[in-house]
Amino acid sequence: MTVTTTPTRPTVTEATAAARRPRRSRPPLRARDMVRWFWLVALTVVIGFPVYVTLLTGLLPPQDVAHGTLLPTRLTLDNFREALRNVPFGQQYVVSVLVTALQTGGQLLTSSLAAYALVFPRWRGRAVAFAVIVATLAIPGESLVIPNYELVTGLGLRDSLLGITLPFLAAGYPVFLLRQAFLTLPREVWEAARLDGCGDLRCLFLVVLPMARPQVTAATLWSALAAWNGYFWPLLITDSPDRRTVQVGISQLVNAESTSPGVIYAGTTLVLLPTLLLVIVGQRFLLRGLARTSPR
Amino acid sequence: MPHSFSAMCGNVPPLKRAGPRRPRLGPWLTVPTLLLIAVFLYWPLGRGIWLSTRGTDLLGNPTRSVGFANYTQLLTDPASRRVLLTTLTLTVASVAMATAGALAAVLPLRRRIAGRRLFQLVFSLPFAYSAASASACFAGLFAPSVGTLNHVLAKLGYEGPPWLQSPGWAMLCVALATAWYEFGFAVLVLTAAVRNLPSEVLEAAELDGASGPRLVRSVILPLISPSLFFLAVTQTISGLQIFTQVQVLTRGGPSDATTTLVVELYRRAFGGGVPDYGRASAIAVVLLALVLLVTAVQFLVLNRRVTTS
Repeated sequence: MTVTTTPTRPTVTEATAAARRPRRSRPPLRARDMVRWFWLVALTVVIGFPVYVTLLTGLLPPQDVAHGTLLPTRLTLDNFREALRNVPFGQQYVVSVLVTALQTGGQLLTSSLAAYALVFPRWRGRAVAFAVIVATLAIPGESLVIPNYELVTGLGLRDSLLGITLPFLAAGYPVFLLRQAFLTLPREVWEAARLDGCGDLRCLFLVVLPMARPQVTAATLWSALAAWNGYFWPLLITDSPDRRTVQVGISQLVNAESTSPGVIYAGTTLVLLPTLLLVIVGQRFLLRGLARTSPR
Repeated sequence: MPHSFSAMCGNVPPLKRAGPRRPRLGPWLTVPTLLLIAVFLYWPLGRGIWLSTRGTDLLGNPTRSVGFANYTQLLTDPASRRVLLTTLTLTVASVAMATAGALAAVLPLRRRIAGRRLFQLVFSLPFAYSAASASACFAGLFAPSVGTLNHVLAKLGYEGPPWLQSPGWAMLCVALATAWYEFGFAVLVLTAAVRNLPSEVLEAAELDGASGPRLVRSVILPLISPSLFFLAVTQTISGLQIFTQVQVLTRGGPSDATTTLVVELYRRAFGGGVPDYGRASAIAVVLLALVLLVTAVQFLVLNRRVTTS
């Protein structure tokens, strides 16, 4: 290949060649690009296959599932009916939505209060408080389940919404994210608000949070995803099928219907839909969160 | 903190309407977080370490101290050692597959190509799956005789392997399911990293004649190495805690071949029968130690990077 790969700076010879080509000329298709394209198609097939199968097979009639059909001729909701007959996904959806709302709301509230106190007011012990909070990032949640199980059971909160969410109403990660976000805000604005007689809470909710809206959105999305996707703790702390989350429900559907994949895929689709929409529609918000959180 | 107060208000004339000084609320705003993490993170941490040194009576209650017996049992018993090995194998295999796969997906998308947005979207779809829904999906793919993969293979004229019934294949299935589901996150992280590459540097390198593999190896990879490292660390930490995939796909079998640390913890503490909190807590502490080790390595490496660059 001759000169630069960037088509923006053509050399003299290329410029004359470009003049002869039709106006909106594409860069010439090269062998290497073809290889690159075929590689991407192959990878797309491999990665997309489970998604395709999930969404399609759930809608196939049982005899088509039994024949391993991959191209649909007709679609039905039979598998969804069967899945709903096995597992109370309706009630579990309500539980999951409430758990996600409560846990995300709680984390957002506690972490924005903490992050505010760690960034704006100056006080002795601020560094220690931050260290104590951030150190929790290194503790794997799975290693704490036994004492937390004793504790939450002792409080009489087994099998309840509060029992599922209580241990997660505060977390180190959103504090860390919001603190990073608040540190980039101009301190003068806060000082001016204080001099105007704004209290700490009004400063936080009327001045600081609105200024940090993109990062607050990102933190909300990541908290909500973690809450919706939680599995181990909700499995331990709930017993009755209609008080469990959809994530626990789907794993029990797999056990109950291990010989009818169509039903399993239908249940998976039900659990998957909200997060699938989020990834398709809200991808740029997720990417924005990552761009700011991953280490420089 | 008199000095910071005066620093803040030092050369500002006192306000006329500043009545009696407000009580300072600021520091108290950390209390909800500190209280909750004290109760649900630090206390259980201490309690777990205490429990790991106790025996268990017939009702499952902790008894007298047994010293380090739970740990020595864990580290000398061949079955427990196998659990540790299984966990590490699954972690390494799935992290390697997910990270390498994501790199091989994101790098070719750096420059314009037909269908780029579609590729990008499909690659990030696994991220929409939770561990439980990804495992359910793979349970449908790997199911014996009725599974989707076996149907596809049969159409191509092959007989599918015993996916979840033989120890080796079961390990591969769990690792594949984990890698596939982690792949989505890895793609998002690396896409963000590649988008943030400084375009001046890339253009300069290209003007200097670096292109293709050479550009990737000597310019792009070093520039995105912090993100790669971040990925390796976070995925290793979540790999050490593999539970859902195993629970849904194999329940730890066949013949305990896919039993991981957290699966073993779950069995001993919650798996029916008399709970053995002592031994289960010893597993929890070992898990904690492993995660702390990975985190410590992360800190050491990051510090070195910062001081050398």
